[in-house]
Amino acid sequence: MQSCARIAVLGCALVVAACASFTPGNPPLAKHEPDAGYRFERLEQGDNSDELFVIVTFSGGGTRAAALAYGVLEALRDTTIEWRGRRVALLDEVDVISSISGGSFPAAYYALRGRQIFDEFEDKFLYRPIQSDLVRLALSPANWLKLAAPAFGRSDLAAEFYHREVFGGATYADVIARKQRPFVILNATDMTTGTPFPFTQDQFDLLCSDLAGVPLARAAASSSAFPGGLTPLTFQNYAGTCGYRQPPWVALAAADHASRVNPRRTARAENRLSLAAEEPARRHYIHLTDGGVADNIGLRGPLEAIASTNHPWSVLERMNKKKIDKLVVIVVNAATNPATDRDQTAAVPGLIDTLTTAATVPLDNYSFDTVELLSKTVNEFNTDARLVGDCNRLSARKGEQCSLNLPAPHKVDLYSIQVAFEYIASPEERTWFRNLPTTFELPRETIDKLRAVGRRLLNEDPQFQNLMKALNGKP
Amino acid sequence: MEHVIVTFPTDRLVYVDGEENGSTNEVLRVEAGTHVFELGNLANYRPASRTVTVQDTTVLEPLKIAFYRKDE
Repeated sequence: MQSCARIAVLGCALVVAACASFTPGNPPLAKHEPDAGYRFERLEQGDNSDELFVIVTFSGGGTRAAALAYGVLEALRDTTIEWRGRRVALLDEVDVISSISGGSFPAAYYALRGRQIFDEFEDKFLYRPIQSDLVRLALSPANWLKLAAPAFGRSDLAAEFYHREVFGGATYADVIARKQRPFVILNATDMTTGTPFPFTQDQFDLLCSDLAGVPLARAAASSSAFPGGLTPLTFQNYAGTCGYRQPPWVALAAADHASRVNPRRTARAENRLSLAAEEPARRHYIHLTDGGVADNIGLRGPLEAIASTNHPWSVLERMNKKKIDKLVVIVVNAATNPATDRDQTAAVPGLIDTLTTAATVPLDNYSFDTVELLSKTVNEFNTDARLVGDCNRLSARKGEQCSLNLPAPHKVDLYSIQVAFEYIASPEERTWFRNLPTTFELPRETIDKLRAVGRRLLNEDPQFQNLMKALNGKP
Repeated sequence: MEHVIVTFPTDRLVYVDGEENGSTNEVLRVEAGTHVFELGNLANYRPASRTVTVQDTTVLEPLKIAFYRKDE
């Protein structure tokens, strides 16, 4: 009889929880202020010069990605270069970090604590059995009431855990208060549009929401809400309540829709319009899932910044203003390629195998294309510079009267650096790393190996070696 | 990537879509598409702005976007 009563009470409690109203994790923005909040322009440069502009991207891949990224951060800390007559750590010249999923944890921690990451992050996150902790929380009856609510999922539970255990209750206000570069961009995916959703004030302006009030843990949880295992996170959209106005390029790019002059730019404009739409087209809530769904290496945003003047932290605009002389892009990619015995048998692959393949292969192919796009962009810049130089030289050879003296865009030296398991020389070692699982819990010795290989792959990259030569670097 | 030269008799700041983007009489890079070009500081130029669809340019043949002194 007593147990029946308990079940009835539990049932009632679950019903009450299910009816509980949604509590947004993102506060509204009273008034749009283009010069306030977490924006690249608001960060103090200190000794970090624009002439050497360094962008680092951290891919998804759970603790595997976090450890690889952390190893690269350690290597950048220990690498010194000669710049403006001083010897400085390359890490202190990093201007932007763009991260996805597992890579978002070291990125967010570095944004919050700077170099203290090297004293704290290993215990706080890297070597912790996060996965077991999350499973324990989800299975705890104490959390069932919360999980019964339709607007509260396993990722909300994970965000609470990260908030308490990893980020010490920090919000973006704490990151803003540091006012220091690098500008760290955690990326999730807008489930409805399938586009990257960066955690920056420029993006939250569209929702009329104040990023300063968003816990860093909630951004990391959104970025790493691996579909299936973790649920998407819900953000309230207050669009139209803060006096926000789109930048002028948005209407121009949207009007280019019919002419198809630049569908990529038009799509970016239309995405902004969709997020900021007011009634009746208003999207009341935005559901964010793992950043890897839209871009698993965190490079799409930086690519837009490099190739467009219509970007909140446009690199191209800085090139036009002759502020950048050397542009360095370091892509840290923890992608794997697990071995399979599928082709050793005539048996029809099972449902899980097929669905997993369908979910991961397009992402891997897209990541490949994204890296190729970076190479293409770098080649385009280099080819343009060479073309103008060659034409001027050729014409000058024909005599002064034939000299063309063509004007050239500001010359920028570009370094595209790749840290990825596929560049490990030894086939056995490469295979070992490419078969590591995606989880938030790895053995200590595996994490140690990932940190070491991150450092080694950075130092072995040919473009990194060119950069070291150019800057008298000491890895 | 597209290339433009905003021409004016003197050295002036160039604004593309409302953002400062280099100087007049220099090759500037922009993304393909329709952009608004303006000059900075003094308003002694004409037209006040030019809205131009930039496409199919090369670094050797940048699109020239001309501004003039008001008194010319």
